[in-house]
Amino acid sequence: MPVFKTPFNGYSVKFSPFYENRLAVATAQNFGILGNGRLHVLDLSADPSLPIGELAAYDTADGIYDVSWSESHDSIVIAAVADGSVKLYDLALPPTSNPIRSFQEHTREVHSADYNPVRRDSFLSSSWDDTVKLWTLDRPTSVRTFKEHAYCVYSAVWNPRHADVFASASGDCTLRVWDVREPGSTMILPGHEFEILACDWNKYDECVIATASVDKRFPLVCLNGHGYAVRKVKFSPHVRNLMVSCSYDMTVCVWDFMVEDALVSRYDHHTEFAVGVDMSVLVEGLMASTGWDELVYVWQHGTDPRAP
Amino acid sequence: MEKAINRQKILLHHLNPSSSTHPNESSSLHASACVAGDSAAYQRTSTFGDDVVIVAAYRTAHCKAKRGGFKDTLPDDLLAPVLKAVIEKTNVNPSEVGDIVVGSVLAPGAQRASECRMAAFYAGFPETVPVRTVNRQCSSGLQAVADVAAAIRAGFYDIGIGAGLESMTTNPMGWDGSVNPKVKMFEQAQNCLLPMGITSENVAQRFGVSRKEQDQAAVESHRRAAAATAAGKFKDEIVPVTTKIVDPKTGEEKSVTISVDDGIRPGTTVSDLGRLKPVFKKDGSTTAGNSSQVTDGASAVLLMKRSVALQKGLPILGVFRTFAAVGVDPAIMGVGPAAAIPVAVKAAGLELDDIDLFEINEAFASQFVYCRNKLGLDPEKINVNGGAMAIGHPLGSTGARCVATLLHEMKKRGRDCRFGVISMCIGTGMGAAAVFESGDCADELCNARKVDDLLLSKDARLK
Repeated sequence: MPVFKTPFNGYSVKFSPFYENRLAVATAQNFGILGNGRLHVLDLSADPSLPIGELAAYDTADGIYDVSWSESHDSIVIAAVADGSVKLYDLALPPTSNPIRSFQEHTREVHSADYNPVRRDSFLSSSWDDTVKLWTLDRPTSVRTFKEHAYCVYSAVWNPRHADVFASASGDCTLRVWDVREPGSTMILPGHEFEILACDWNKYDECVIATASVDKRFPLVCLNGHGYAVRKVKFSPHVRNLMVSCSYDMTVCVWDFMVEDALVSRYDHHTEFAVGVDMSVLVEGLMASTGWDELVYVWQHGTDPRAP
Repeated sequence: MEKAINRQKILLHHLNPSSSTHPNESSSLHASACVAGDSAAYQRTSTFGDDVVIVAAYRTAHCKAKRGGFKDTLPDDLLAPVLKAVIEKTNVNPSEVGDIVVGSVLAPGAQRASECRMAAFYAGFPETVPVRTVNRQCSSGLQAVADVAAAIRAGFYDIGIGAGLESMTTNPMGWDGSVNPKVKMFEQAQNCLLPMGITSENVAQRFGVSRKEQDQAAVESHRRAAAATAAGKFKDEIVPVTTKIVDPKTGEEKSVTISVDDGIRPGTTVSDLGRLKPVFKKDGSTTAGNSSQVTDGASAVLLMKRSVALQKGLPILGVFRTFAAVGVDPAIMGVGPAAAIPVAVKAAGLELDDIDLFEINEAFASQFVYCRNKLGLDPEKINVNGGAMAIGHPLGSTGARCVATLLHEMKKRGRDCRFGVISMCIGTGMGAAAVFESGDCADELCNARKVDDLLLSKDARLK
């Protein structure tokens, strides 16, 4: 299975919505605590036994915590940077022209970025300054700032069907659902006793949201299985009941939340904290993960990620 | 270095699930109240600037057909002034208009389409601006506005005009040609042929609307319209039209400027109306006095995308929210608004209680009273400046006329008037309704309902 060695510790990995063999990886030096960051854009070879190629790499002065592909331009990538900036990169332009834009409004580390999949002209960033900001590509300043969370906002994710609705997960132990057309959040869900590190909307049932927490559990059905804080959670774009999660216990787990024994697979290929995980929209079952062991794995669900 | 220590602390918190000493959690965590449930009159902002707004809405005076101020005015000369007004008063370049949609009912379709195109040229529009007509009977003017709003929302263009025109002097109501004998096999099809007055009698009889209630509604309509005229309330929305009056005896033409509705009868009383004989049915209750008047008139509404209005620096008179057309029994077509209004209001995410102002076409007093009572509406919120029984009902224009009347009144009321509804019944059995929101001309909102449930939206609660 393809594997790629990154110089810094991996924080996030995302498949391109336009090309099935392309993904972006956010990395940060010294586990994101101090030092530089780098954004990698990787191309998988058609032959899985061949190594992953690097299409582009961009250095940043501080760690990159998250990455998001544009849904409207196949060559644009957004990076959430630990120095509080949100940077836009265009793969079609030479490295000297990148980043094409740097939004510097957050006052603390930016922890996540998510592009609107329905409207396709806007994206969100969430930050340790307790806010979520809404941006469009054509405006130099944020369109709006959402300030209700009382602690770091680790994740903000758009609803896959409603163009104006998103959810945010925070260390204040709440998940909030927002409509950008309303002045405040429309729903507050105190679903955990500890910090919530990630959230995602089900792609087929808009009433289902998964949250990942320091308490190691998912609240809708309590999915127990991870030994430490759950860092990311993702619903499958192909199967309603399937989800994937990654954790500080160094594993990536696949779950079916509708069955009694929810744990479908556990992958323990990472040798350090597993921090980023994604499922391909274009290829069913294709997964990617990255972690602080400085490795990016790409594998088909059901196979061994470490197999050569 | 301090930054590194802070980050390390935050990340280490992720690894202390048993920790009960979250300094942030205990000291600063508090759930904030959601400001509104799903159906409350919440303050909805337009973050993306892509909703459809109205920046101008005008009408001509409304005059009695055959006897009023426009009896000698040709239809295209009636439409041109309102088309010119929406452009001139906003200083919009006419070539930027993506389409002009005109509601019109009675004229032959091809001829009316040509007359509207001609009127656009009189008004100064270049040949590059297209024109078309739309006919959904009495709601055609509103349908024109809705069609333009839908086209802007679809991205066909950014600026459009929804208008209405009817000259019932030139084109009286009637049926051309013979009737398909097949209608006898379909009761609903046969009921489409009922004279409108008969449907009014059907509503009155079936739902028990008394003659007295109808006459009272008519008197109130005239009283309100007269008061509004005297107070100068219609000056904002009426465009004076310079036209001609021909003396029927001498044939002499005289130039006149028509700027006041001439169908309003301020002195009307219930006893006066009580003396009129029912027109459509022996022992009936529908009379000429408690029916809308046969009228000449035109109206126009300028709509655009909000971001375009902001870019041009135009005040926003109102926001187009939703439109709904629904079908009802043709024999009682007058109940249309009672069916259409709830649909449009619900589509806007609102409840009837959230609506501050209504313009409901008074085709007949019986259906107007029925719809008002059926929906439980406060009479003080409906047709506050009079309705079609006083002002008149030029079929194709009324919908756009109501937009002008509603939005200008909403602007005057400012505070406490956020949502308005326009509705009319439609011959052959339909109702149409639209929801509008006040524009940024209005004062800040102060009528938002308090919501008790702090955490869950209404939808979630219902589940």
